Amino acid sequence: MTNIEQTATALTTAVVEGAAIIAEEYSSEMGPLMLRFIFQLGVIIISARLGGFLLKKILKLPGVLGELVTGMLIGPYALGSLSIPGWGSLFPLPMTAVPVSPELYAIATLASIVLLFLSGLETDLATFLRYSVVGSAVGIGGVIVSFVLGDLCAIFFHVADSFMSPAALFMGTISTATSVGITARILSEKRKMDSPEGVTILAGAVLDDVIGIIVLAIVVGMSKVAQASGVVNWHHILVIALKALTFWVVCTALGLLLARRVTQLLKLFKSAELIASLAFGLALLLAGLSEKAGLAMIIGAYIMGLSLSRTDLVQLIQHELQGLYNALIPVFFCVMGMLVDFRAMSGVVVFGFIYSIVAILSKLVGCGVPAWLMKFSFRGAMRVGIGMVPRGEVALIVAGIGLSTGTIQPDVFGVAIMMTMITTVIAPPLLVKSFEGGSSLRAGAEKNQESLKTISLDFPSTDLAEFMMVRIANAFRSEEFYVYRVTHDINTFQVRKDDMTFSITHEGSSISMTTHEKHEHVLRLVVLEELLALEDLFQSLKSLKENALGVQLLNGLFDKDRGQ
Amino acid sequence: MNLKKVLSPETISLSLSGSTKEEVIEEMVGLLMKSGRIKDLKDRDAAIKAVMDREHKMSTGMQNGIAIPHGKTDVVASLVAALGVKKEGIDFGALDGKPSIIFVMTISPDNRTGPHIQFLAEVSRHLNDVRIRERILQAASPDEVIEALSG
Repeated sequence: MTNIEQTATALTTAVVEGAAIIAEEYSSEMGPLMLRFIFQLGVIIISARLGGFLLKKILKLPGVLGELVTGMLIGPYALGSLSIPGWGSLFPLPMTAVPVSPELYAIATLASIVLLFLSGLETDLATFLRYSVVGSAVGIGGVIVSFVLGDLCAIFFHVADSFMSPAALFMGTISTATSVGITARILSEKRKMDSPEGVTILAGAVLDDVIGIIVLAIVVGMSKVAQASGVVNWHHILVIALKALTFWVVCTALGLLLARRVTQLLKLFKSAELIASLAFGLALLLAGLSEKAGLAMIIGAYIMGLSLSRTDLVQLIQHELQGLYNALIPVFFCVMGMLVDFRAMSGVVVFGFIYSIVAILSKLVGCGVPAWLMKFSFRGAMRVGIGMVPRGEVALIVAGIGLSTGTIQPDVFGVAIMMTMITTVIAPPLLVKSFEGGSSLRAGAEKNQESLKTISLDFPSTDLAEFMMVRIANAFRSEEFYVYRVTHDINTFQVRKDDMTFSITHEGSSISMTTHEKHEHVLRLVVLEELLALEDLFQSLKSLKENALGVQLLNGLFDKDRGQ
Repeated sequence: MNLKKVLSPETISLSLSGSTKEEVIEEMVGLLMKSGRIKDLKDRDAAIKAVMDREHKMSTGMQNGIAIPHGKTDVVASLVAALGVKKEGIDFGALDGKPSIIFVMTISPDNRTGPHIQFLAEVSRHLNDVRIRERILQAASPDEVIEALSG
């Protein structure tokens, strides 16, 4: 052994001994691993957020696209592979089916659970039931046409050899799930949320989500069996489909049945953040259970959200989980972008384009035709179809599951990402354009607004209306309702308790309130009492006779000589 | 909100004797006192005052012979309610000018939150149904009234 070697050995021993305490907690590999992970996460959060911000500000495109593209740029197939002197590359390629480290993929998985939990929570079953006939037709039509065409597309491009082979089923499933978030934002900006096509899209998207998740459950189950045994026969398929359906139906039914009990139990804790954490914990548990049952985790998360969606905890949980959502979701989209292997993409660009076009057409036809048959004009049916075009997180999650289980290859994963991006880019301008011009309903079709009631109150001044908004909100709070400002529209309050929902909007000097006919009594009486309480307030104002307080305040200003 | 928890047979009168707004309200607060929901005469007076103050602002006589007198005062710790029937009806200053026949009264604490107005609203919604009103008017005992309202 040379001197240098001896010194090196001695030094190493010293360092190892010095780190003995730390080493007790971290194995020798854990430290550098965590160090890299934390750096990765930092780089991802900052660059994804900035990328999203830039795309939104400069190109006026949805922020998630920026996050996806950022992921592609900084990922292991691009900048991330570059070697940093003395350290190696920030995003090295691991030797697994998923080209990012397990830690990073775990964060993305956690994010997908948060996403689907919140998406289940937002599922407006009431709206769905109210517009169920047209909504169901639109949802089912969209799912069937897009699934079949997506599946066939995979066969046509020789990704799979038969309709029932796992890869083809995955491509069908990826093409199925509409991400209604982007559409909803545009509808609310254009104030078309309550229009017949707006509610039809939202109702259709609910069913689309539900069926999409069931399809995913069946497909994941089947591909797992196919992976294990090589072939899937009809007997197997039936068993898996039955199992997936049973899990879905039992969990959802139990969830909806127990929701009120669970809610009441959670409310015992009084603290909003504790309630939200516990609810999220339950979502994670159910996610784990559904994976254990041979389905995907997001299914359990979605069911948990759906179960709580009819309780009055929705806004509270959304509010409390907002921070978690903001931090995790960019990581999710960014990591999904990172998974795109450009090297594998060169051969499948045409496939990607065709698959995207098929994905767009399948929703236009699958959703548009039922809408047109039922009550919409051609224009209205187009709006409904376009509104259902964007695909998003669910498509990405399904593609991610396909990639990580080896069911779909990296090039096909790239195709799925391409489709998600193209549909997301193309839908908003088309939707905005389609809303120019006339009525959406066919002549003779009556508006389906029967059970919603709107009450308008005109006040003598804007100031008084604003003041009353605050008073009304407080009145509902003291009746133990949950009152929230709708974030994108600061003049609107949402008031909820159990299955009651009131939305209260103030514009200029008038306040208008909307609710279901069934709960109109509560709304009217609570607001009436508040109006009457206003009288007391004016009486007590009068007793502040002769500006006594004003004089007192003014006196304080001038009663002493200040300065020298 | 569970109606049976708030309304019980001893706070229901099927034949009120009063013939003015004041008398009916005093009589119904009397029911609450007799059943122990209001403790003493001082609290009784405070409750009557709270309900009458609210009536002075605007009558709670609604359409269809229903009136829902109510008030807020801290002499009660939680929502209490009474129901009274006066088949001949009395002038309660109702919206439609017709005599009021069925009275639902609530007293709720001033400084505690709870579904107080909501309770009144839900009872009024039930009373909007002519079949339920008929059943209450036909009722032979307080239990039948509770039955009609919770059915």
